[in-house]
Amino acid sequence: MIEVRGITKSFGTMRALDDVSFQIGKGEILGFLGPNGAGKSTTMKIITTFLAADSGTVEVDGIDVLKNPLAVRHRIGYLPENVPLYLDMNVHEYLRFVGEARGLSGNKLRDRLDWCVEACGLTTEFKKTIGELSKGYKQRTGLAQALIHDPDILILDEPTSGLDPLQIMGIRELIKSLAGSKTIIFSTHILQEVSPVTDRVVVINEGRIIADGDVNALARDAMQTNRVYVGARQFGDAVEADLRALAEVSEVSPAEMTSADGCRFEVRGPFDQDLVAAIDKLAREKAWELTELHEATFSLEDTFIALTRDARENGSRGVA
Amino acid sequence: MSNSMTIFRREFGSYFNSPIAYIFIIAFLVLNSGLFMTSFFLGGAADLRGFFGNLPLFLIFFIPAVSMRLWAEDKKTGTFELLMTLPMPTRDVMLGKYFAAFAFYLVALLGTLPLPIMVSALGNPDMGAIVSGYIGAALLGGLYMAIGMFTSGLMRDQISAVILGIMACFVIFILGIPTVATTIDGWVPGFGSMLQHYLGLSDHFNMMLRGVVSLGDLAYFLGLTTVFLTLNALWLEGRKY
Repeated sequence: MIEVRGITKSFGTMRALDDVSFQIGKGEILGFLGPNGAGKSTTMKIITTFLAADSGTVEVDGIDVLKNPLAVRHRIGYLPENVPLYLDMNVHEYLRFVGEARGLSGNKLRDRLDWCVEACGLTTEFKKTIGELSKGYKQRTGLAQALIHDPDILILDEPTSGLDPLQIMGIRELIKSLAGSKTIIFSTHILQEVSPVTDRVVVINEGRIIADGDVNALARDAMQTNRVYVGARQFGDAVEADLRALAEVSEVSPAEMTSADGCRFEVRGPFDQDLVAAIDKLAREKAWELTELHEATFSLEDTFIALTRDARENGSRGVA
Repeated sequence: MSNSMTIFRREFGSYFNSPIAYIFIIAFLVLNSGLFMTSFFLGGAADLRGFFGNLPLFLIFFIPAVSMRLWAEDKKTGTFELLMTLPMPTRDVMLGKYFAAFAFYLVALLGTLPLPIMVSALGNPDMGAIVSGYIGAALLGGLYMAIGMFTSGLMRDQISAVILGIMACFVIFILGIPTVATTIDGWVPGFGSMLQHYLGLSDHFNMMLRGVVSLGDLAYFLGLTTVFLTLNALWLEGRKY
Protein backbone atom coordinates (compact mmCIF):
# COMPACT_ATOMS: atom_id res chain seq x y z
CA MET A 1 0.00 0.00 0.00
CA ILE A 2 2.83 2.38 0.89
CA GLU A 3 6.33 1.89 -0.46
CA VAL A 4 9.12 4.12 0.69
CA ARG A 5 12.32 3.52 -1.27
CA GLY A 6 15.62 5.10 -0.35
CA ILE A 7 14.40 8.59 0.50
CA THR A 8 16.89 11.22 1.54
CA LYS A 9 16.11 14.71 2.73
CA SER A 10 18.35 17.52 3.90
CA PHE A 11 17.44 20.87 5.42
CA GLY A 12 20.40 23.08 4.66
CA THR A 13 23.43 21.16 5.87
CA MET A 14 21.39 19.04 8.26
CA ARG A 15 20.64 15.60 6.89
CA ALA A 16 17.19 14.73 8.22
CA LEU A 17 16.68 11.45 6.37
CA ASP A 18 19.32 9.14 5.00
CA ASP A 19 18.27 6.35 2.65
CA VAL A 20 15.02 5.48 4.42
CA SER A 21 13.10 2.49 3.06
CA PHE A 22 10.16 0.48 4.36
CA GLN A 23 6.79 -0.71 3.23
CA ILE A 24 3.34 -1.33 4.61
CA GLY A 25 0.77 -3.72 3.26
CA LYS A 26 -2.93 -3.03 2.95
CA GLY A 27 -4.75 -3.08 6.29
CA GLU A 28 -1.53 -3.15 8.26
CA ILE A 29 -0.81 -0.93 11.26
CA LEU A 30 2.71 0.31 11.64
CA GLY A 31 4.19 1.95 14.71
CA PHE A 32 6.84 4.43 13.70
CA LEU A 33 9.22 4.80 16.59
CA GLY A 34 12.10 7.09 17.24
CA PRO A 35 13.40 9.74 19.61
CA ASN A 36 12.51 13.36 19.01
CA GLY A 37 14.23 14.75 15.94
CA ALA A 38 14.88 11.32 14.45
CA GLY A 39 13.04 12.04 11.21
CA LYS A 40 9.59 10.59 11.91
CA SER A 41 7.70 13.75 11.05
CA THR A 42 9.83 14.45 7.99
CA THR A 43 9.11 10.97 6.64
CA MET A 44 5.39 11.44 7.21
CA LYS A 45 5.45 14.85 5.55
CA ILE A 46 7.03 13.29 2.49
CA ILE A 47 4.45 10.50 2.33
CA THR A 48 1.62 13.03 2.65
CA THR A 49 3.18 15.18 -0.15
CA PHE A 50 3.73 18.16 2.15
CA LEU A 51 7.46 17.91 1.47
CA ALA A 52 9.39 16.38 -1.41
CA ALA A 53 12.34 14.08 -0.86
CA ASP A 54 15.73 15.05 -2.31
CA SER A 55 16.09 11.57 -3.73
CA GLY A 56 14.27 8.25 -3.56
CA THR A 57 10.63 7.51 -4.28
CA VAL A 58 7.43 7.06 -2.34
CA GLU A 59 4.47 5.23 -3.79
CA VAL A 60 1.06 5.24 -2.19
CA ASP A 61 -1.33 2.68 -3.63
CA GLY A 62 1.00 2.46 -6.63
CA ILE A 63 0.93 6.21 -7.21
CA ASP A 64 4.12 8.24 -7.06
CA VAL A 65 3.73 11.11 -4.58
CA LEU A 66 5.62 13.55 -6.78
CA LYS A 67 3.92 12.67 -10.06
CA ASN A 68 0.35 12.74 -8.83
CA PRO A 69 0.16 14.36 -5.40
CA LEU A 70 -3.56 15.12 -5.56
CA ALA A 71 -4.50 11.47 -6.07
CA VAL A 72 -2.29 10.55 -3.13
CA ARG A 73 -3.85 13.22 -0.92
CA HIS A 74 -7.33 11.88 -1.72
CA ARG A 75 -6.37 8.52 -0.25
CA ILE A 76 -4.68 9.81 2.90
CA GLY A 77 -6.04 11.14 6.16
CA TYR A 78 -3.29 13.05 7.93
CA LEU A 79 -2.95 14.26 11.49
CA PRO A 80 0.22 16.38 11.73
CA GLU A 81 2.14 16.61 14.98
CA ASN A 82 1.08 20.23 15.35
CA VAL A 83 -2.69 19.66 15.19
CA PRO A 84 -4.01 21.92 12.41
CA LEU A 85 -7.02 23.60 13.98
CA TYR A 86 -8.75 26.89 13.33
CA LEU A 87 -9.25 28.10 16.86
CA ASP A 88 -11.95 30.58 15.86
CA MET A 89 -14.28 27.92 14.41
CA ASN A 90 -16.45 25.49 16.31
CA VAL A 91 -15.92 21.75 15.91
CA HIS A 92 -18.87 21.37 13.57
CA GLU A 93 -17.85 24.23 11.27
CA TYR A 94 -14.27 23.02 11.18
CA LEU A 95 -15.09 19.42 10.29
CA ARG A 96 -17.59 20.60 7.70
CA PHE A 97 -14.93 22.84 6.16
CA VAL A 98 -12.38 20.02 5.93
CA GLY A 99 -15.06 17.70 4.55
CA GLU A 100 -16.04 20.17 1.85
CA ALA A 101 -12.42 20.92 1.02
CA ARG A 102 -12.00 17.19 0.56
CA GLY A 103 -14.88 17.10 -1.88
CA LEU A 104 -17.70 15.80 0.29
CA SER A 105 -21.17 17.28 0.11
CA GLY A 106 -24.84 16.66 0.89
CA ASN A 107 -25.84 13.43 2.61
CA LYS A 108 -22.41 11.89 2.34
CA LEU A 109 -20.89 14.82 4.23
CA ARG A 110 -23.62 14.69 6.87
CA ASP A 111 -23.15 10.93 7.38
CA ARG A 112 -19.40 11.28 7.68
CA LEU A 113 -19.73 14.20 10.12
CA ASP A 114 -22.06 12.13 12.32
CA TRP A 115 -19.74 9.14 12.17
CA CYS A 116 -16.59 11.11 13.01
CA VAL A 117 -18.19 12.98 15.88
CA GLU A 118 -19.47 9.71 17.30
CA ALA A 119 -16.26 7.73 16.74
CA CYS A 120 -14.00 10.43 18.15
CA GLY A 121 -16.23 11.09 21.14
CA LEU A 122 -16.94 14.69 20.25
CA THR A 123 -20.72 14.62 20.69
CA THR A 124 -20.73 16.92 23.72
CA GLU A 125 -18.18 19.34 22.25
CA PHE A 126 -19.76 19.55 18.81
CA LYS A 127 -20.88 23.16 19.09
CA LYS A 128 -17.93 24.47 21.11
CA THR A 129 -15.32 26.82 19.74
CA ILE A 130 -12.11 24.88 19.16
CA GLY A 131 -10.03 27.46 21.03
CA GLU A 132 -11.96 26.62 24.20
CA LEU A 133 -11.47 22.86 23.99
CA SER A 134 -9.11 20.93 26.24
CA LYS A 135 -5.95 19.45 24.75
CA GLY A 136 -7.56 16.02 24.56
CA TYR A 137 -10.59 17.23 22.66
CA LYS A 138 -8.40 19.26 20.32
CA GLN A 139 -6.46 16.11 19.53
CA ARG A 140 -9.71 14.24 18.88
CA THR A 141 -10.93 16.99 16.63
CA GLY A 142 -7.68 16.68 14.70
CA LEU A 143 -8.22 12.96 14.43
CA ALA A 144 -11.81 13.45 13.27
CA GLN A 145 -10.48 15.80 10.59
CA ALA A 146 -8.17 13.06 9.34
CA LEU A 147 -11.06 10.58 9.18
CA ILE A 148 -13.72 12.79 7.63
CA HIS A 149 -13.31 11.53 4.05
CA ASP A 150 -13.07 7.87 5.09
CA PRO A 151 -9.52 7.48 3.76
CA ASP A 152 -7.90 4.11 3.11
CA ILE A 153 -4.69 5.33 4.69
CA LEU A 154 -4.22 7.14 7.98
CA ILE A 155 -1.00 8.91 8.86
CA LEU A 156 -0.97 10.02 12.47
CA ASP A 157 1.98 11.96 13.80
CA GLU A 158 2.18 11.52 17.58
CA PRO A 159 -1.59 11.14 17.98
CA THR A 160 -1.37 10.64 21.74
CA SER A 161 1.20 13.26 22.69
CA GLY A 162 0.19 15.45 25.60
CA LEU A 163 -2.87 13.41 26.49
CA ASP A 164 -3.72 11.92 29.87
CA PRO A 165 -3.75 8.11 30.27
CA LEU A 166 -7.51 7.83 29.86
CA GLN A 167 -7.46 9.87 26.66
CA ILE A 168 -4.51 7.83 25.37
CA MET A 169 -6.55 4.69 25.89
CA GLY A 170 -9.44 6.26 24.00
CA ILE A 171 -7.26 7.10 20.99
CA ARG A 172 -5.68 3.64 21.15
CA GLU A 173 -9.10 1.99 21.11
CA LEU A 174 -10.09 4.12 18.15
CA ILE A 175 -6.97 3.16 16.18
CA LYS A 176 -7.57 -0.48 17.03
CA SER A 177 -11.17 -0.28 15.89
CA LEU A 178 -9.99 0.98 12.51
CA ALA A 179 -7.53 -1.89 12.13
CA GLY A 180 -8.12 -4.13 9.17
CA SER A 181 -10.16 -1.68 7.16
CA LYS A 182 -7.44 0.95 7.00
CA THR A 183 -3.70 1.11 6.57
CA ILE A 184 -2.29 3.11 9.45
CA ILE A 185 1.09 4.59 10.27
CA PHE A 186 1.36 6.26 13.63
CA SER A 187 4.47 7.70 15.17
CA THR A 188 5.37 7.84 18.82
CA HIS A 189 8.41 7.99 21.03
CA ILE A 190 6.83 5.77 23.66
CA LEU A 191 7.37 2.06 23.08
CA GLN A 192 4.57 1.00 25.40
CA GLU A 193 2.12 2.75 23.12
CA VAL A 194 2.89 0.48 20.23
CA SER A 195 2.36 -2.99 21.64
CA PRO A 196 -1.34 -2.67 22.51
CA VAL A 197 -2.11 -1.56 18.96
CA THR A 198 0.29 -3.39 16.70
CA ASP A 199 3.36 -5.61 16.65
CA ARG A 200 4.92 -4.15 13.55
CA VAL A 201 7.37 -1.33 14.20
CA VAL A 202 9.91 0.62 12.27
CA VAL A 203 12.51 2.33 14.41
CA ILE A 204 14.29 5.39 13.12
CA ASN A 205 17.21 7.23 14.64
CA GLU A 206 19.20 10.17 13.30
CA GLY A 207 17.49 9.82 9.93
CA ARG A 208 18.23 6.12 9.45
CA ILE A 209 16.01 3.10 9.86
CA ILE A 210 17.69 1.00 12.53
CA ALA A 211 15.06 -1.71 12.98
CA ASP A 212 12.00 -3.01 11.19
CA GLY A 213 9.94 -5.91 12.44
CA ASP A 214 8.08 -7.39 15.39
CA VAL A 215 8.26 -5.17 18.45
CA ASN A 216 8.82 -7.91 21.04
CA ALA A 217 11.47 -9.64 18.98
CA LEU A 218 13.25 -6.33 18.51
CA ALA A 219 13.20 -5.59 22.18
CA ARG A 220 14.55 -9.06 22.99
CA ASP A 221 17.32 -8.80 20.45
CA ALA A 222 18.22 -5.42 21.76
CA MET A 223 18.09 -6.35 25.42
CA GLN A 224 19.92 -9.64 25.01
CA THR A 225 18.81 -11.02 28.39
CA ASN A 226 15.42 -11.55 29.96
CA ARG A 227 14.80 -9.85 33.27
CA VAL A 228 12.52 -10.97 36.07
CA TYR A 229 11.73 -9.11 39.25
CA VAL A 230 11.40 -11.19 42.40
CA GLY A 231 10.20 -9.88 45.72
CA ALA A 232 9.90 -11.93 48.92
CA ARG A 233 9.24 -11.34 52.61
CA GLN A 234 12.16 -13.55 53.59
CA PHE A 235 15.64 -12.48 54.57
CA GLY A 236 17.55 -11.30 51.49
CA ASP A 237 20.89 -13.13 51.59
CA ALA A 238 19.41 -16.63 51.67
CA VAL A 239 17.03 -15.81 48.80
CA GLU A 240 19.83 -14.35 46.75
CA ALA A 241 22.02 -17.39 47.24
CA ASP A 242 19.19 -19.76 46.25
CA LEU A 243 18.40 -17.71 43.18
CA ARG A 244 22.02 -17.78 42.09
CA ALA A 245 22.03 -21.54 42.46
CA LEU A 246 19.32 -21.90 39.77
CA ALA A 247 20.65 -23.23 36.45
CA GLU A 248 18.53 -20.81 34.41
CA VAL A 249 19.83 -17.71 36.15
CA SER A 250 22.88 -15.88 34.88
CA GLU A 251 22.85 -12.85 37.14
CA VAL A 252 21.14 -11.64 40.32
CA SER A 253 21.30 -8.10 41.56
CA PRO A 254 19.42 -6.27 44.31
CA ALA A 255 16.61 -4.10 42.98
CA GLU A 256 15.03 -0.99 44.41
CA MET A 257 12.70 -1.81 47.30
CA THR A 258 9.01 -1.13 46.87
CA SER A 259 8.03 -1.96 50.46
CA ALA A 260 9.75 -1.64 53.80
CA ASP A 261 10.37 -5.29 54.67
CA GLY A 262 11.68 -8.33 52.78
CA CYS A 263 13.91 -8.22 49.73
CA ARG A 264 13.69 -7.56 46.00
CA PHE A 265 15.98 -8.74 43.20
CA GLU A 266 16.45 -8.32 39.50
CA VAL A 267 17.22 -11.71 37.98
CA ARG A 268 18.64 -12.04 34.48
CA GLY A 269 18.72 -15.04 32.23
CA PRO A 270 18.55 -16.05 28.59
CA PHE A 271 15.26 -15.66 26.72
CA ASP A 272 14.97 -19.33 25.87
CA GLN A 273 14.61 -20.30 29.53
CA ASP A 274 11.37 -19.88 31.48
CA LEU A 275 12.73 -17.89 34.38
CA VAL A 276 9.40 -17.18 36.01
CA ALA A 277 8.43 -20.86 36.13
CA ALA A 278 11.81 -21.85 37.54
CA ILE A 279 11.70 -19.25 40.28
CA ASP A 280 8.11 -20.08 41.08
CA LYS A 281 9.09 -23.72 41.54
CA LEU A 282 11.99 -22.73 43.75
CA ALA A 283 9.79 -20.47 45.87
CA ARG A 284 7.34 -23.30 46.50
CA GLU A 285 10.14 -25.68 47.51
CA LYS A 286 11.62 -23.12 49.92
CA ALA A 287 8.21 -21.90 51.07
CA TRP A 288 9.04 -18.26 50.31
CA GLU A 289 6.32 -15.76 50.72
CA LEU A 290 6.53 -14.00 47.35
CA THR A 291 5.34 -10.44 47.03
CA GLU A 292 6.32 -10.07 43.41
CA LEU A 293 7.29 -12.23 40.43
CA HIS A 294 7.06 -10.95 36.89
CA GLU A 295 9.05 -10.30 33.75
CA ALA A 296 10.31 -6.79 33.26
CA THR A 297 8.61 -4.79 30.55
CA PHE A 298 11.12 -3.38 28.15
CA SER A 299 11.38 0.29 28.60
CA LEU A 300 11.71 2.43 25.56
CA GLU A 301 14.83 4.01 26.94
CA ASP A 302 16.69 0.73 27.31
CA THR A 303 15.61 -0.57 23.93
CA PHE A 304 16.54 2.62 22.20
CA ILE A 305 19.88 2.83 23.87
CA ALA A 306 20.56 -0.76 22.88
CA LEU A 307 19.31 -0.35 19.31
CA THR A 308 21.10 2.92 18.65
CA ARG A 309 24.29 1.50 20.16
CA ASP A 310 24.05 -1.47 17.80
CA ALA A 311 23.45 0.83 14.86
CA ARG A 312 26.45 2.97 15.73
CA GLU A 313 28.72 -0.05 16.17
CA ASN A 314 27.59 -1.50 12.86
CA GLY A 315 28.09 1.84 11.21
CA SER A 316 31.61 2.33 12.52
CA ARG A 317 32.46 -1.22 11.59
CA GLY A 318 31.28 -0.47 8.08
CA VAL A 319 33.54 2.56 7.87
CA ALA A 320 36.57 0.69 9.23
CA MET B 1 -13.61 26.72 -8.65
CA SER B 2 -15.61 24.98 -5.93
CA ASN B 3 -12.28 24.30 -4.20
CA SER B 4 -11.50 27.98 -4.05
CA MET B 5 -15.06 28.75 -2.92
CA THR B 6 -14.69 26.44 0.08
CA ILE B 7 -11.46 28.16 1.09
CA PHE B 8 -13.00 31.56 0.38
CA ARG B 9 -15.98 30.92 2.65
CA ARG B 10 -13.80 29.74 5.53
CA GLU B 11 -11.34 32.63 5.18
CA PHE B 12 -13.92 35.35 4.66
CA GLY B 13 -15.95 34.05 7.59
CA SER B 14 -12.87 34.04 9.80
CA TYR B 15 -12.48 37.80 9.44
CA PHE B 16 -15.83 38.27 11.10
CA ASN B 17 -15.30 35.58 13.75
CA SER B 18 -13.13 37.99 15.67
CA PRO B 19 -13.46 41.67 16.57
CA ILE B 20 -10.41 42.42 14.40
CA ALA B 21 -12.55 42.82 11.28
CA TYR B 22 -14.77 45.43 12.87
CA ILE B 23 -11.85 47.32 14.37
CA PHE B 24 -10.17 47.33 10.97
CA ILE B 25 -13.20 48.57 9.12
CA ILE B 26 -13.94 51.26 11.67
CA ALA B 27 -10.32 52.45 11.65
CA PHE B 28 -10.31 52.44 7.87
CA LEU B 29 -13.45 54.53 7.64
CA VAL B 30 -12.63 56.94 10.46
CA LEU B 31 -9.08 57.65 9.29
CA ASN B 32 -9.96 57.88 5.62
CA SER B 33 -13.03 60.05 6.02
CA GLY B 34 -11.29 62.11 8.69
CA LEU B 35 -8.31 62.83 6.45
CA PHE B 36 -10.61 63.70 3.60
CA MET B 37 -13.09 65.82 5.52
CA THR B 38 -10.49 68.03 7.21
CA SER B 39 -9.59 69.55 3.86
CA PHE B 40 -12.88 69.02 2.03
CA PHE B 41 -14.61 72.26 3.01
CA LEU B 42 -11.45 74.30 2.43
CA GLY B 43 -11.23 73.17 -1.18
CA GLY B 44 -14.82 73.98 -1.94
CA ALA B 45 -14.99 71.44 -4.78
CA ALA B 46 -17.69 68.75 -4.81
CA ASP B 47 -15.52 65.80 -5.79
CA LEU B 48 -13.72 62.88 -4.15
CA ARG B 49 -10.25 63.45 -5.57
CA GLY B 50 -8.87 64.21 -2.16
CA PHE B 51 -10.27 60.95 -0.82
CA PHE B 52 -8.93 58.77 -3.63
CA GLY B 53 -5.68 60.71 -3.70
CA ASN B 54 -4.95 59.69 -0.10
CA LEU B 55 -5.48 56.00 -0.81
CA PRO B 56 -2.12 54.96 -2.37
CA LEU B 57 -0.26 56.09 0.73
CA PHE B 58 -2.92 55.11 3.24
CA LEU B 59 -3.37 51.59 1.86
CA ILE B 60 0.37 50.94 2.11
CA PHE B 61 -0.29 50.49 5.82
CA PHE B 62 -3.85 49.22 5.78
CA ILE B 63 -3.58 46.40 3.25
CA PRO B 64 -0.44 44.66 4.60
CA ALA B 65 -2.11 44.76 8.01
CA VAL B 66 -4.97 42.75 6.50
CA SER B 67 -2.80 40.46 4.40
CA MET B 68 -0.10 39.72 6.98
CA ARG B 69 -2.02 36.81 8.45
CA LEU B 70 -2.80 35.11 5.13
CA TRP B 71 0.02 32.54 5.29
CA ALA B 72 2.00 33.52 8.37
CA GLU B 73 -0.86 32.67 10.71
CA ASP B 74 -1.46 29.28 9.11
CA LYS B 75 2.22 28.48 9.44
CA LYS B 76 2.16 29.37 13.10
CA THR B 77 -1.00 27.42 13.99
CA GLY B 78 -0.16 24.41 11.81
CA THR B 79 -3.16 24.75 9.50
CA PHE B 80 -0.70 25.43 6.69
CA GLU B 81 0.07 21.72 6.67
CA LEU B 82 -3.64 20.94 6.44
CA LEU B 83 -4.15 23.33 3.53
CA MET B 84 -1.12 22.02 1.66
CA THR B 85 -2.25 18.40 1.97
CA LEU B 86 -5.83 18.98 0.83
CA PRO B 87 -6.64 17.24 -2.45
CA MET B 88 -6.75 20.46 -4.44
CA PRO B 89 -4.10 22.37 -6.38
CA THR B 90 -2.11 24.86 -4.31
CA ARG B 91 -3.31 27.55 -6.69
CA ASP B 92 -6.93 26.98 -5.63
CA VAL B 93 -6.07 27.41 -1.95
CA MET B 94 -4.15 30.58 -2.73
CA LEU B 95 -6.91 32.12 -4.84
CA GLY B 96 -9.54 31.32 -2.22
CA LYS B 97 -7.46 33.09 0.41
CA TYR B 98 -6.62 36.01 -1.85
CA PHE B 99 -10.19 36.72 -2.86
CA ALA B 100 -11.41 36.42 0.73
CA ALA B 101 -8.94 39.11 1.79
CA PHE B 102 -9.81 41.19 -1.25
CA ALA B 103 -13.53 40.88 -0.51
CA PHE B 104 -12.87 42.01 3.02
CA TYR B 105 -11.17 45.11 1.66
CA LEU B 106 -14.12 45.73 -0.67
CA VAL B 107 -16.46 45.61 2.33
CA ALA B 108 -14.38 48.33 3.97
CA LEU B 109 -14.39 50.29 0.73
CA LEU B 110 -18.19 49.97 0.45
CA GLY B 111 -18.38 51.63 3.84
CA THR B 112 -17.15 54.87 2.23
CA LEU B 113 -20.24 55.11 0.02
CA PRO B 114 -21.80 57.84 2.19
CA LEU B 115 -19.01 60.12 0.89
CA PRO B 116 -20.20 60.20 -2.76
CA ILE B 117 -23.79 60.51 -1.52
CA MET B 118 -22.81 63.49 0.61
CA VAL B 119 -20.83 65.06 -2.22
CA SER B 120 -23.69 64.72 -4.67
CA ALA B 121 -26.05 66.28 -2.13
CA LEU B 122 -23.71 69.25 -1.72
CA GLY B 123 -22.94 69.86 -5.35
CA ASN B 124 -22.83 68.39 -8.78
CA PRO B 125 -19.83 66.02 -8.90
CA ASP B 126 -18.50 64.19 -11.94
CA MET B 127 -20.02 60.77 -11.27
CA GLY B 128 -17.82 59.20 -13.95
CA ALA B 129 -14.70 60.23 -12.04
CA ILE B 130 -16.16 58.84 -8.82
CA VAL B 131 -16.98 55.49 -10.42
CA SER B 132 -13.57 55.24 -12.06
CA GLY B 133 -12.02 56.33 -8.75
CA TYR B 134 -13.68 53.39 -7.03
CA ILE B 135 -12.51 51.04 -9.77
CA GLY B 136 -9.00 52.40 -9.26
CA ALA B 137 -9.28 52.02 -5.48
CA ALA B 138 -10.37 48.39 -5.89
CA LEU B 139 -7.53 47.61 -8.31
CA LEU B 140 -5.00 49.39 -6.10
CA GLY B 141 -6.15 47.40 -3.07
CA GLY B 142 -6.01 44.21 -5.10
CA LEU B 143 -2.42 44.89 -6.10
CA TYR B 144 -1.28 45.74 -2.58
CA MET B 145 -3.10 42.65 -1.30
CA ALA B 146 -1.22 40.42 -3.75
CA ILE B 147 2.07 41.97 -2.66
CA GLY B 148 1.17 41.62 1.02
CA MET B 149 0.07 38.02 0.55
CA PHE B 150 3.35 37.21 -1.16
CA THR B 151 5.39 38.67 1.69
CA SER B 152 3.19 36.86 4.21
CA GLY B 153 4.12 33.62 2.47
CA LEU B 154 7.81 34.34 2.89
CA MET B 155 7.52 34.91 6.61
CA ARG B 156 6.70 32.74 9.57
CA ASP B 157 5.48 35.51 11.82
CA GLN B 158 3.01 38.25 11.14
CA ILE B 159 5.11 41.17 12.32
CA SER B 160 7.86 40.47 9.80
CA ALA B 161 5.18 39.88 7.17
CA VAL B 162 3.53 43.24 7.73
CA ILE B 163 6.83 45.16 7.76
CA LEU B 164 8.07 43.48 4.60
CA GLY B 165 4.66 44.03 2.99
CA ILE B 166 4.67 47.73 3.81
CA MET B 167 8.16 48.07 2.40
CA ALA B 168 7.28 46.24 -0.82
CA CYS B 169 4.13 48.32 -1.36
CA PHE B 170 6.11 51.46 -0.61
CA VAL B 171 8.63 50.60 -3.34
CA ILE B 172 5.85 50.28 -5.91
CA PHE B 173 4.40 53.57 -4.69
CA ILE B 174 7.64 55.54 -4.63
CA LEU B 175 8.80 54.36 -8.06
CA GLY B 176 5.78 56.16 -9.53
CA ILE B 177 6.75 59.54 -8.09
CA PRO B 178 8.28 61.82 -10.77
CA THR B 179 11.06 63.18 -8.48
CA VAL B 180 12.20 59.67 -7.72
CA ALA B 181 12.08 58.74 -11.40
CA THR B 182 14.16 61.74 -12.44
CA THR B 183 16.68 61.05 -9.68
CA ILE B 184 17.15 57.49 -10.91
CA ASP B 185 17.31 58.82 -14.47
CA GLY B 186 20.22 60.99 -13.29
CA TRP B 187 22.15 57.84 -12.34
CA VAL B 188 21.11 55.58 -15.20
CA PRO B 189 19.49 57.56 -18.01
CA GLY B 190 16.06 56.24 -18.92
CA PHE B 191 15.94 53.62 -16.17
CA GLY B 192 13.93 55.72 -13.73
CA SER B 193 11.30 56.57 -16.33
CA MET B 194 11.05 52.94 -17.33
CA LEU B 195 10.49 51.86 -13.72
CA GLN B 196 7.99 54.68 -13.27
CA HIS B 197 6.04 53.55 -16.28
CA TYR B 198 6.08 49.79 -15.74
CA LEU B 199 6.18 49.45 -11.96
CA GLY B 200 5.24 52.80 -10.39
CA LEU B 201 1.57 53.21 -9.72
CA SER B 202 0.98 56.99 -9.58
CA ASP B 203 0.55 57.53 -13.33
CA HIS B 204 -1.88 54.64 -13.67
CA PHE B 205 -3.86 55.47 -10.57
CA ASN B 206 -4.05 59.22 -11.23
CA MET B 207 -5.59 58.61 -14.63
CA MET B 208 -8.45 56.82 -12.95
CA LEU B 209 -8.97 59.71 -10.54
CA ARG B 210 -9.55 61.90 -13.55
CA GLY B 211 -12.22 59.55 -14.82
CA VAL B 212 -10.16 57.73 -17.43
CA VAL B 213 -10.11 53.93 -17.31
CA SER B 214 -7.73 52.89 -20.04
CA LEU B 215 -6.80 49.39 -21.09
CA GLY B 216 -3.14 50.11 -20.35
CA ASP B 217 -3.88 51.07 -16.74
CA LEU B 218 -6.11 48.05 -16.24
CA ALA B 219 -3.35 45.89 -17.71
CA TYR B 220 -0.85 47.46 -15.30
CA PHE B 221 -2.89 46.67 -12.18
CA LEU B 222 -4.14 43.24 -13.23
CA GLY B 223 -0.77 42.30 -14.70
CA LEU B 224 1.26 43.22 -11.63
CA THR B 225 -1.31 41.56 -9.36
CA THR B 226 -1.01 38.38 -11.42
CA VAL B 227 2.79 38.56 -11.22
CA PHE B 228 2.74 38.63 -7.42
CA LEU B 229 0.10 35.89 -7.19
CA THR B 230 2.19 33.75 -9.54
CA LEU B 231 5.30 34.37 -7.46
CA ASN B 232 3.30 33.34 -4.44
CA ALA B 233 2.15 30.10 -6.07
CA LEU B 234 5.68 29.33 -7.25
CA TRP B 235 7.03 29.89 -3.79
CA LEU B 236 4.38 27.59 -2.31
CA GLU B 237 5.32 24.85 -4.74
CA GLY B 238 9.05 25.41 -4.35
CA ARG B 239 8.82 25.27 -0.57
CA LYS B 240 8.46 21.48 -0.77
CA TYR B 241 12.00 20.98 -2.03
